[in-house]
Amino acid sequence: MNDFSKIWERFIANNRSKYSLYIFLILFIISLFSEFISNDKPLVLNIDNQLYYPIIKSYTEEEFGGHFETEPDYKGYFMSEKISEQNNWAIFPLNPHSYQSINLNKSTPNPASPSTTNYLGTDDRGRDVLARLLYGFRLSVIFALALTIIGIIIGIFFGAIQGYFAGRTDLYLQRFIEIWGSMPELYLLIIFSSLFEPSIGLLIILLSLFGWMSLSDYVRAEFLKGRNMDYVIAARTLGLSDTKIILKHILPNSMVSIITFLPFRISGAILILTSLDFLGLGVPPDTPSLGELLSQGKENIEAWWLSLSTFLVLVGTLMLLIFIGEGFRESLDTRLK
Amino acid sequence: MNILEIDNLNIYNKEKTKTYLNNISFVLKKGETLGIVGESGSGKTLTGLSITQLLDTDIFSLHANHIIFKNENIYEYDEPKLQSIRGNKISMIFQEPMLSLNPVQTIRSQIHEVIKLHVTKDTDIINELTESILIKSGLDEYKKVSNSYPHMLSGGQRQRVMIAMSLVCNPDILIADEPTTALDVTLQGQILNLLKTLKDENNMSLILISHDLDLVRHYADNILILNNGRNVEYGQSNTIFNNPTHEYTKELISSRPKKIVQNKINTKNLLKIENLNCKFLMKNSFFKNKREYFNALQDICLDIKEGETVGIVGESGSGKTTLALSILQLLDYEGNISLNNKNLKNLNNIELRQNRKNFQIVFQDPYSSLSPRLSIKEILSEGLKSFKENLSNHDITKICDELMQEVGLDKNMLSRYPHQFSGGQRQRIAIARALSLKPKLIILDEPTSALDVLVQKNILELLANLQKKYSISYCFISHDLKVIRSISHRIYVLKESRIIESNETENIFDNPKTEYTKNLIESSFF
Repeated sequence: MNDFSKIWERFIANNRSKYSLYIFLILFIISLFSEFISNDKPLVLNIDNQLYYPIIKSYTEEEFGGHFETEPDYKGYFMSEKISEQNNWAIFPLNPHSYQSINLNKSTPNPASPSTTNYLGTDDRGRDVLARLLYGFRLSVIFALALTIIGIIIGIFFGAIQGYFAGRTDLYLQRFIEIWGSMPELYLLIIFSSLFEPSIGLLIILLSLFGWMSLSDYVRAEFLKGRNMDYVIAARTLGLSDTKIILKHILPNSMVSIITFLPFRISGAILILTSLDFLGLGVPPDTPSLGELLSQGKENIEAWWLSLSTFLVLVGTLMLLIFIGEGFRESLDTRLK
Repeated sequence: MNILEIDNLNIYNKEKTKTYLNNISFVLKKGETLGIVGESGSGKTLTGLSITQLLDTDIFSLHANHIIFKNENIYEYDEPKLQSIRGNKISMIFQEPMLSLNPVQTIRSQIHEVIKLHVTKDTDIINELTESILIKSGLDEYKKVSNSYPHMLSGGQRQRVMIAMSLVCNPDILIADEPTTALDVTLQGQILNLLKTLKDENNMSLILISHDLDLVRHYADNILILNNGRNVEYGQSNTIFNNPTHEYTKELISSRPKKIVQNKINTKNLLKIENLNCKFLMKNSFFKNKREYFNALQDICLDIKEGETVGIVGESGSGKTTLALSILQLLDYEGNISLNNKNLKNLNNIELRQNRKNFQIVFQDPYSSLSPRLSIKEILSEGLKSFKENLSNHDITKICDELMQEVGLDKNMLSRYPHQFSGGQRQRIAIARALSLKPKLIILDEPTSALDVLVQKNILELLANLQKKYSISYCFISHDLKVIRSISHRIYVLKESRIIESNETENIFDNPKTEYTKNLIESSFF
């Protein structure tokens, strides 16, 4: 544990990576509350002296005196009239658009340039770009985290087995990895996306099947080194089981270097998701995604707000992650002053 | 004539909050040898480095009244002027020659570089000089050596190359920082004798830095003893040895291993090894008869009785550690190893695990033998937990307390982590871990080689006491004959993976049968 606190101390001493980490965490936490920041439903609604919270709870239009048993369009004609009646009021989020809400009463054609209603303009279907960026950022980061964690678990599992048992086990698994790794990942993705309905889950499974190999190589090397350490031999003479030796003796001592990979793997995963979406092989069309925005920017080259804003978000995110990763790597390297 | 005079040398860290060297003064005459002796961390190497101000100025700050070399105060020299002295007038050789040599250049080009820098640029002279200096350094196959890369040479040859490189400019002073510590005993004597002859031939002065008091005594005219950066005693070596004034010096002199082992020997056999062979695959081939093996152990027959210490002596590469790992059943071997008449090879995995508590190991390096992420209590209780699963937390704490007491450590230290302990304390913890399962046999793989003499003595005494108390058998593996002699009942001499001689300790020392053993004894006792 002491090692980790030392590494943290050194990490904190590096201003660039420290602030990168803070900014990234703040942005991510904010994006977790996207529904409260950017939504087409009001935060609080007061109709006839009764308070409603449409974001947390869904109401039917009937409850507001309408005809439909579905959730009302709070920005539609009926609700706008209702809200503008005497004593009634509504508080909308900072950006009153959701990632899939379409602004129907607009005079300009889509994609519309930034204006007071849509701060970063709209995409080619009239959806708010700011909202889509916010939700898209959140989705990318969560997707990347999930992919990284799954990749790390599988990678450590196979790497540990290979490195600890070495010999035959190592040989066969290594050959398996070579064959597995030479499968054309992209073609498989194309095939699967036409066979199944594209979804985030499917994408995570497919990418996880191939993403663990680079890490397992590394874990294998760490374990090959660790299995011959004196304290591991001592543990074996004490009669400890293999699982116990792996989990208690070798893994904690190689964990530090595995953690260094984390930020780089996250940024890599974000990039993969974005490029797949850009090619149209990624998430289903309705989902907010940075890659889809980029491809819209390519189609509508004159709509600069599409490509520029997405580009900035993407570059900013990746840069923060790389700075964080760099900071971690340097704080691990005791040779650097 | 005084060639070097150091007056009041102090070294602090940069903030001057910590003192590494305190008021060190000494004088070196032409043709004289000065020995600097001390434990690790006493400032020996710092003293050597500070003479030509080779210290990293980001970490250390150096203060002295003067450092006079050949009537000039080099303390006031600037960097370019110091550079012309370093390696030219005052040169150094270090403990680990592999680290000091450039791995991607041949020996020839590395020596040429030195000559070009300090002596001459004339190609003919350079070649001549290279040849003569290599021959002088005892490298008779100079042609082969000069075309080799460092990794192709043996440890002794590398150290000779280092000596050749440091002597090529005819320095006035040679600083040898633990020049033989990384070498086998038989090589140690050769290298030191070489240094002595070369020193006499060239009429230069030698500063010999070492932790080994006996060795320094044999070669040095004057001795400076350091402890915690302070000058404890300084004077002629005979005076210091015959008449030490300071407590620390007395302790240091008396810490030379003495016979501490009990005489009584139980007659029952504990461990019996018959025809042990162990080989490693060097070159694989599909065809069985084309595979090449390295024989690490050949036809080893050995037995250890209850309560007995068996010493196993050999140089590096003789198969000592392979033997230890075979006994521990961690390697594939041929032959029989039986403990208490039970052949360990015939046991299945579960039975073997049950039997493991009977034999334990203590390693050489106390820094790598304890997992850095486990607390001492976790380290000590691990074996207990794996054998007796129903032990309560209270019982475990009690056993750990007892273990700590047994090895002379405070039980309050149980919650600490290994990095908070010194080398000697760590070795005690490693011994406590081995004791935790109450084994019948402990294999000690060079347990004292990484420790300072004073600590070494304490550890040996601890081991002897534990043996007396529990009648444990030890298999004591070491290259250090002095240590082996002090603790073993019987000795096996291992050479090139075979046992060449075995006998009672005193018989071996009084009457060695083979030439090799004789040599070994001669070079470790001056």
